[in-house]
Amino acid sequence: MLDIQDLHATVEGQEILKGLSLQVNAGEVHAIMGPNGSGKSTLTNVLAGRDNYEVTDGTISFEGRDLSGMEPEERARAGLFLAMQYPVEIPGVSNLEFLKASLESMAEARGEEAPDSVTLLRRARAACEQVDLDQSFLKRGVNEGFSGGEKKRNEILQLMMLEPKLALLDETDSGLDIDALRTVAAGVNSMRDENRAIVLVTHYQRLLDYIVPDQVHVLSGGRIIKSGDQELAKELESKGYSWINGEEQSA
Amino acid sequence: MTAPATANELATELKAQALARANARSGNDALGPMRQQARALLEDTPFPGPKHERWKYTSLRALEAGHLKAPAPTQQPVEVPPDLGFARLVFVNGHFHEALSTLPDTAGLQVLRLNGEHEARLSDAPASPFAWLNGAALEDGLLLRVAARTQLESPIHVLHIGESGEPACCDMRIRLEAGEQSEITLIEEYAGNGPIFTNAVTEIESAPASRVMHYRLQHEAPACLHIGSLILQLAKDSHIRSEQFMSGSTLRRNEVQAQLNEPGAELELNGAFIGRGSNHADNQVCVEHRAPHCTSRQVYKGMAGDKARLVFNGRIYIHPGAKDSSADLSNNNLLLSNSAEIDTKPELEIYNDDVICSHGTTVGQMDALQLFYLRSRGISEPEAQRMLGIGFINELLLALPHESIADWARPWLASEVTEAE
Ligand SMILES: Nc1ncnc2c1ncn2[C@@H]1O[C@H](COP(=O)(O)OP(=O)(O)O)[C@@H](O)[C@H]1O
Ligand SMILES: [Mg+2]
Repeated sequence: MLDIQDLHATVEGQEILKGLSLQVNAGEVHAIMGPNGSGKSTLTNVLAGRDNYEVTDGTISFEGRDLSGMEPEERARAGLFLAMQYPVEIPGVSNLEFLKASLESMAEARGEEAPDSVTLLRRARAACEQVDLDQSFLKRGVNEGFSGGEKKRNEILQLMMLEPKLALLDETDSGLDIDALRTVAAGVNSMRDENRAIVLVTHYQRLLDYIVPDQVHVLSGGRIIKSGDQELAKELESKGYSWINGEEQSA
Repeated sequence: MTAPATANELATELKAQALARANARSGNDALGPMRQQARALLEDTPFPGPKHERWKYTSLRALEAGHLKAPAPTQQPVEVPPDLGFARLVFVNGHFHEALSTLPDTAGLQVLRLNGEHEARLSDAPASPFAWLNGAALEDGLLLRVAARTQLESPIHVLHIGESGEPACCDMRIRLEAGEQSEITLIEEYAGNGPIFTNAVTEIESAPASRVMHYRLQHEAPACLHIGSLILQLAKDSHIRSEQFMSGSTLRRNEVQAQLNEPGAELELNGAFIGRGSNHADNQVCVEHRAPHCTSRQVYKGMAGDKARLVFNGRIYIHPGAKDSSADLSNNNLLLSNSAEIDTKPELEIYNDDVICSHGTTVGQMDALQLFYLRSRGISEPEAQRMLGIGFINELLLALPHESIADWARPWLASEVTEAE
């Protein structure tokens, strides 16, 4: 589904990704771990098509399509979803309007019928319940005045409503207490599907106790330097990132 | 062909036209004394020219077409906006239109016409020559008196429609006197089409412990001209909240003069002004704290697309005796195009130390991260911009106490934003 080869990318002129390769197949869950500043968010932003994140070399192919020339909205309509590390507040635009506009744009692009407002509301309420957000959050401005955890849960709510093919979750676990972590993990697990791929970006191992990945990758210095299964995540947790960095230097 | 008039010549010419208009109206009816007083003030006040700081960004050149020389006749309006579900008093080109009006329930409320049957007086707030011209030339208007301790449940809606195919002018005047401990909601709405110049004055006096909710909805077509004065005078412990929504037009200027005259008065002013095409909207707001323990809060938002030009000048004047004053003002503006322009300036004049005062003005473009967030959910760039434009103003709509006004404002806002891009 996602095939990244030798990706180099700059942020405001500075090279952050330096030859990153990654393959993710439908039905799989991958975890990307790595120290702060290693380029994890940069990777997700490059994939989502954010301004000022420039691909300078390498290829990104999503279901056989070259992503690099596509606008962010085209990528989303093609089935890519990014749960941002720092979800954006948009006062004055309600969560429900946001979901409606999003679903309508997606449906229009695919030549499908958008859900009517009754169906939309019913689905949105059910999603609220699943991520344990009060329904009043649908009426509030997008992420406006939400706590850190509420923002993350709101991202998962959008994930559930939009049903993408590929979900990139950037540190969706950070800043969550244990109950919220369980809720978010349950939400993500409910989205596991043989036709869908999920990439979890995380700094900590603990999320992987709840969402068991098929593969774990370590990102450091703008490259994937090690891949393995869940055991790799446990090893990282016990030995710390300096273990990887040391290994990389000696390699 | 004659050379175009210089700005000074234009000011002189407009003043001559204004005086001629005033002179044509000095009847011997009950409004006579007010007209004479206003005429004298008009005569003493120079018309704004290029050197006038307060008129720096607003030119009167559009009036060169001769609007002031042609009083608009009473007529049957072509387009009447839908009502808002309340009793509505309709004026067309400055004249009361009985057939289109429904009279409100009058218990505790006096509804009088300022057409020469009843006396009226000028408020003593400082005013522009246009406000004096309104007083000097007035033929018709409205005086609303709410009896002491009367709480009017239903809002009073006053609609003014200006329509003319040729350059013409009309005057509209509303005076509201809210008695002690009374409560009233007044909705002023201005609609219209064609090159008509509406010269409007609204005066609101709140007696001790009264509460006035005021709306001003201005959505005349771009060809219309409008210069309006809103004068608010607050007595002890009274409360006025005014919500103002306005589309720009060929020439639009709103002057607000608010005077907190006695202790404990509270004023809340909120407004949104939107410009598109080559429209213009100029807001001049002055809030004077003249007594101790008064509070004023202002939130104005401007949004300009295309080549529109918006102006906001917010002056807060705290008098020496006005101890324990609390005043704040925010004016945030959103530019939707590189050719649009917004000039905003807060002016603080504070003459005692016991004051809490804050002010902030900004002019910015759409937030790149907000745009990206919407687009990353499949929303197209133009739609994302539209949503953010609406959202920017919608914050004010969400706080409105009357749902029917928010229901009016949403489509208004949507069409303004859609056309602003
Ligand atoms: N908008 C930006 N402008 C400049 N530098 C950035 C920007 N975003 C990220 N960086 C830099 O890119 C590097 C990688 O950051 P990031 O991808 O956020 O790391 P991670 O998510 O792994 O913590 C860091 O050195 C960071 O300072
Ligand atoms: Mg990050």
